[in-house]
Amino acid sequence: MGDENTVLGTLHARHLLRRTGFGVRQSEVNAFSSMTRGAAADRLTAFKPAKFRPSGKDISRRRVSWLKYMVRTRAPLQEKLVLFWHDHFATGYDKVQDHHWMADQNRLLRLYCKGNFKNFVKAINVDPAMMEYLDTFRNFKEQPNENYARELMELFTLGVTDLAGQPNYDQQDIVQISRAFSGWGWDWSRNRVRFNDWAHDYMTEYGSERGPKVIFRNHGGFGPAGRDFTLPGGEGPQEISQVVDIIFEHRDTDGKNTVARFITKKLLEYFGHPLPSYPDNATIIDRIVQRAAFDTTWDLRRLVREILVDDFFYETASAVPFSSSTPKSVVWPVDFVVSTLRLLRVTPRGDKWGNWYIEGGQYGNVPGYLADMGQILFEPPSVFGWDWEEGWVNSATLLARYAFARDVAMARGTKVYHLRPQLLMNLDLTDPGDIVDAVTGVLGIRDYISTDERQALINYLGGPLDLHDFAVRERKLHGLFALVLQMPQFHLH
Amino acid sequence: MSLSRRDFLVRTGLLAGGLMTHGLWSRPLVRKAFADIGDRFLVSIFLDGGNDGLNTVVPLANGSFANFRASYELLRRTGPGGLRLAPSILSPYAIANDPPTNTPLALHPGLEGLHRLYQLGKVAIIQGCGYPEYNLSHAVSRSIWETGSRAAMGPGWLGRYLASRYGATDIPGLSVGYWMAGEFRQQVTSVLTASRLSELEFPLDDWYPDDDSAKLSAFQAVYASAQASSQPLLRFVGNSGQATLTATQAYPTLDGLYQTDRGSWLQQYNDLDSGTARRLREVAKAIYGVHQGVPNVAARHFALSNGGYDTHANQGTVGADQTHYELHREVGDAVELFYHDLADMGIADKVLVMIWSEFSRRPQQNDNGTDHGSQGPMFLIGGKINGGVYGNHPNISDSRVLNPGATWDDGNTKYSQNNADPHRSTDFRDVYGAVLKHWLAIPESEILSSLLQPDSGDPNEYWTSPQFDFVQPVNGQPLFLP
Repeated sequence: MGDENTVLGTLHARHLLRRTGFGVRQSEVNAFSSMTRGAAADRLTAFKPAKFRPSGKDISRRRVSWLKYMVRTRAPLQEKLVLFWHDHFATGYDKVQDHHWMADQNRLLRLYCKGNFKNFVKAINVDPAMMEYLDTFRNFKEQPNENYARELMELFTLGVTDLAGQPNYDQQDIVQISRAFSGWGWDWSRNRVRFNDWAHDYMTEYGSERGPKVIFRNHGGFGPAGRDFTLPGGEGPQEISQVVDIIFEHRDTDGKNTVARFITKKLLEYFGHPLPSYPDNATIIDRIVQRAAFDTTWDLRRLVREILVDDFFYETASAVPFSSSTPKSVVWPVDFVVSTLRLLRVTPRGDKWGNWYIEGGQYGNVPGYLADMGQILFEPPSVFGWDWEEGWVNSATLLARYAFARDVAMARGTKVYHLRPQLLMNLDLTDPGDIVDAVTGVLGIRDYISTDERQALINYLGGPLDLHDFAVRERKLHGLFALVLQMPQFHLH
Repeated sequence: MSLSRRDFLVRTGLLAGGLMTHGLWSRPLVRKAFADIGDRFLVSIFLDGGNDGLNTVVPLANGSFANFRASYELLRRTGPGGLRLAPSILSPYAIANDPPTNTPLALHPGLEGLHRLYQLGKVAIIQGCGYPEYNLSHAVSRSIWETGSRAAMGPGWLGRYLASRYGATDIPGLSVGYWMAGEFRQQVTSVLTASRLSELEFPLDDWYPDDDSAKLSAFQAVYASAQASSQPLLRFVGNSGQATLTATQAYPTLDGLYQTDRGSWLQQYNDLDSGTARRLREVAKAIYGVHQGVPNVAARHFALSNGGYDTHANQGTVGADQTHYELHREVGDAVELFYHDLADMGIADKVLVMIWSEFSRRPQQNDNGTDHGSQGPMFLIGGKINGGVYGNHPNISDSRVLNPGATWDDGNTKYSQNNADPHRSTDFRDVYGAVLKHWLAIPESEILSSLLQPDSGDPNEYWTSPQFDFVQPVNGQPLFLP
């Protein structure tokens, strides 16, 4: 049992840096190992959000632009959070069809990634990419569209049910909230969102036959009267802001703040592993919400900080031998690819068509490998984002991971596009055990490989090797890098 | 550009030789020959996004005992953004009447391919499928359909069945696409996932093929170690990787086999030029391979999906570029071709196709689309299917459906299990149960004890008395012909 004053040590320092970044080098581990959890978490969460906005004249180029930024960023936790929010506020270019809007949303995710969550949701309410994706632009008084209202509660803030499995809202609440969001459109002459009176479902003036807008009569701890939108003159921008304020007051059947629990749970599972079932999950979630005072401050930086000092976060750090109760989590495809490139210091090569390809094997475009692994940035499979954990693993996605590993290892040469082992390890090593330890060390998984697995890698090398011999190095050392990148342990953390 | 593809045939030869000497392929893949599916195949097609049932099976005119066409015309407008399908364009696609109300019905004109199969008597249309207390979240409802459980948790409904009958390195199923189909989800046996069988190629270093067998041995060793781990996720990745390696040896050969033996059929799939046709083409390749007895190819359960049914906006009516029309056209034409391909192989009687969606859409349209709705139709297609219209059309004449604004009721058709109700719904679990019992030959007692859990509650409102023995209303014969 530890707390924010617990000194990290090497294993936990590597784990902390791996989970909050993309790959980790030994020098970084050394710098963090003597720090306390609290000091390390403070340092990692102290970055100033960058204003970076993926650039390019089409969505493919913007996708590559974002990937390049992840590879080179000095604040990897920022990008880990942007990735999380892209999954959370999932928005797909396939429907939006405007890459400027997608890039604007990406910058919005970055600016708010560790900011105030309530303000974040309010900003998402009027984000053009989201308004297009979930049909806020098609929500009119006479033909209300419920899409955004439903997902605002189900996916962004409350969840369908609370931790105890009780419903958080009903169809009536969706209908009422969709009324509040009616009337928004895009003003092409001014290039900004606009609230249109004529399409808005007013509470009293014109649409009184539909009655006042009241939500949460049956859920949320507001009592049988529920909550109506009574702000004076508060239609349009103020009204949708007020809807968010009310949602953020929602209490679940345990009397706890529903939004705080919902977001804390999701972030815990992102940085850690799937939580146990109710009520054990509530114990973990509530202690973190309480330490971060998240249900009053909505400060995401403090929330992430409290996650990173909590014992739960360090559970997946356990080294071999694993037991049946050692939790692990599947590495996301983007994490696998960006980590591999950072760890091996391989820079994919660009061309004038906007590709960014690996200089070896199939010479594949990096976003193409990622597509085969099941993760196309700016194109989550649906409004629910990606399917985590086992959902990442099947024969198609595994083969894509194996192929990427093979191709990076086959990028042979002396340029920045190439895998140059001399940058990563000492080529004077000859003992196969030492070579295996060096490679698994570079890739950061030495603590997670059993003696049998280590022996299998040693057997692959076959005996003492002269790594200065070109043919030996290219055949066996590059082969070993591919193998270690393909090992199950490199895909779990 | 791709060395690996150019050298593919050469390398496959090398790879097979290397592995033979290492004896990696000696283990028989199908450990339990008693799997209930026998020599049959099952294909599940998921219409992702919530297919609009009311514009799929459409009232063509009022029936003797209901005015569904009149209600339809109140709910679906004409003019810009209107979704109404006129009787004149529907009538060529007429099907049997809605049994209880005698309402003449027709399929959406986009489903012309499926309609031709219907006329051959090979399509069962099961109307009004849903479940109690319908959930209109895509994710939750899809999970309910995938798991066959209103708790929406745990393994898929077919996954539970596969897990009970196949082992860790068996490959009893193929999920066509990048994602494992939810109905297959479980962690006991291995379901292959691939967009194209030809892509199931284990990546090796083309520059040093003499090192291939050493690499494969090492890969095999580290994955075998993971398979033996007590850590569940590591074991799961270990099993998945091992099955993947196995599949890369056997499955890509099916591509060439099909191309050689059935080139004209291959061309027809390619000519359709759609995602559904491409995915069904891969299923056809696998079925042909299994049917021809290709070693280590044993998949008999398949799943694929077609997306784009979440037509909140711009749903359209009939004609090119009309969203719902194009969706129906894609699936109808591809399924028709697939059926004829199998018939030509002589195994149309051995294959069952099941089409489903996570929910239907609101009877009353919005501006130019439809919001999420409750019950919708399912389709069962195959040589052993007793074609016709089963189940009852949802009651779209209900005042709450016709005038939802008055009460802010959600305006959806009600789920009912009341036997006295002429618009009684069909629970989707009855259809699953019929497939499990009559196609996969699983005893009803086992289905009800371990595969599908009946609800508790008012038997008029909940699925408390499963009925897996569908009977076709016109000819009185069972859904599955003997």
